[in-house]
Amino acid sequence: MATLPEWLRPGARPVSLLPQRATAHRLLRRTLGAMGRSISLLVREPDGPGVGALRTADPRAKLLAAVGLIVATTFLRGLLPLAACLALALALSAAAKVPGRRLLPVMIAVPLASTALLLPATLNIVSGGPPLLVLWRSAGGAFGPWRLPEVVAVTADGLLVAGRMVLRTTACAALALLLAATTRPQRLLGGLRSLGVPQAFVMVLAMAERYLAVLLRSAQELHLARLARSVAPIGVRREEAWAAAGVGAVFRRTRSLADAVTLAMVSRGFTGEVRLLRPACWRRTDWLLVAAAAAVAAGLLILDRRLA
Amino acid sequence: MSGSQGETVFAVEAVRFAYAGQPLCLDGVSFDVRRGERLALVGANGSGKSTLLHLLNGLFFPGEGRIAYLGSPLTEAVLDAAPFGPRFRQEVGFLFQNSDAQLFCPTVEDELAFGPLQMGWTQAEVFRRIEDTLALLEISRLRGRFPAGLSAGEKKRVALASLLVLAPSVLLLDEPTAGLDPRSQSLLLEILEALHTRGLTLVTATHDLTLLPHLADRVLVLSEEHRLVADGEPEPVLADTEMLLAVNLIHAHSHRHGRLVHTHPHQHVVAHEHVHGHHHEHEDQAEPKK
Repeated sequence: MATLPEWLRPGARPVSLLPQRATAHRLLRRTLGAMGRSISLLVREPDGPGVGALRTADPRAKLLAAVGLIVATTFLRGLLPLAACLALALALSAAAKVPGRRLLPVMIAVPLASTALLLPATLNIVSGGPPLLVLWRSAGGAFGPWRLPEVVAVTADGLLVAGRMVLRTTACAALALLLAATTRPQRLLGGLRSLGVPQAFVMVLAMAERYLAVLLRSAQELHLARLARSVAPIGVRREEAWAAAGVGAVFRRTRSLADAVTLAMVSRGFTGEVRLLRPACWRRTDWLLVAAAAAVAAGLLILDRRLA
Repeated sequence: MSGSQGETVFAVEAVRFAYAGQPLCLDGVSFDVRRGERLALVGANGSGKSTLLHLLNGLFFPGEGRIAYLGSPLTEAVLDAAPFGPRFRQEVGFLFQNSDAQLFCPTVEDELAFGPLQMGWTQAEVFRRIEDTLALLEISRLRGRFPAGLSAGEKKRVALASLLVLAPSVLLLDEPTAGLDPRSQSLLLEILEALHTRGLTLVTATHDLTLLPHLADRVLVLSEEHRLVADGEPEPVLADTEMLLAVNLIHAHSHRHGRLVHTHPHQHVVAHEHVHGHHHEHEDQAEPKK
């Protein structure tokens, strides 16, 4: 029988711990948890039968309609047409009974993130125009080769640019969410394939959709394993360093899982083309859906030009 | 099931294999698998059992030597060509150790449909097969479920269903009971037993000797040097303690009764039963006592 080392025997004196800087930082755990909840919501949401005409429409028609409206939205410049587009997306989501727990996080996160990104655009140092609200005054001068402004202020033009971008991104996100929430991922990918998107690209999307949850669970397990061996919070910098190392470990697992999945697919006869159990069937209502989306897109663009 | 009882399904001749940039993981392995046989590949971790199953399934190809299925050599070119390739994929099913890798479709129904759709079967036939297979494995209630959300036992049954739906005549099983609770394990063993009585050829890779009486009529033992060191019926193979110790399938086990240290080779041949070749030793005397 192997002899236990002295430090592993009962009654051994514990090694004194290094002083740890206590911090309540739990950002990584919270982030992983939130990502897990979002992804499980994303991949587990089925398209309930008979709930709204949008859910039963052919995925190709929905894809064409959504992409057409999103492209049109990117060309809109007026706040009114953009707001109308957002209102339309929200009304359609309500009609298709998209659950609030899916819609609300997107409708809160997208405008907030866009606003945060566009805040500098509201200032006179980025966008010109008369100041609306002065934030800071200085005597001017220079900082190295740069000349400092005498006034930093929010401008009307800046607000217009930021407002336009926030509305545009929110409307596009709402349209994309409407498509995702009313179509099963596999049917959506099938639709992409039949619209001529290259097979390799569709396969990569399909695998990402399927294994996102598995890999996230793997990341959570790594994190929990590390927590189980932690005696005290480790501080933001070390937490970040650990997260970077964890990304590497998850990447290695991703590669090995991808290899195993490919072999499992080949083993069951996969030769490069995914075939669907219930192939999409194009009906007259699908033409109507595409035509209606085209008409709305054209209407919004015309309205935008008239208001300009 | 196609083929006649006793015919050679797989012929493996002097196979050597190494992953790119790695040392050999199979060294001169030769054996035959006959129709209707229940064969177990046993060996310690890393002995090459899983790799051998991948070779039998035409997923990897030997560096040296030859593997033939029903007399046809298993090469990349042969497997890419119709009708042999699709027929081979339909007839030989491979249950992977990692069910997460095997279940890649969004629902259980899609999972079962994947193989038949690849074979180009009609939609009506695919639906009929799905119904029957789900009922056979008593998993009809899981039909619309997302595979990643199932328990380990359910995943394993769905993975097996995704193979059985193709009506294979050979099943290659990589550690089929690993990670399963006792009830799921026993259910899976019952299913495999039933499949064998219906004529399926089963080739199982395992390092769990307790499974052998349930899974095999013939046992091949791979050493840690990646060579085949035994080929025979389970009983004589399990009785060869010296060989099992040498290939790291059993271990010398020591425990203490007061001041008495008790050492013996340790193996589990049936769950919860030990076979002990006793060797007692007093710690203070260090004198063997039988």
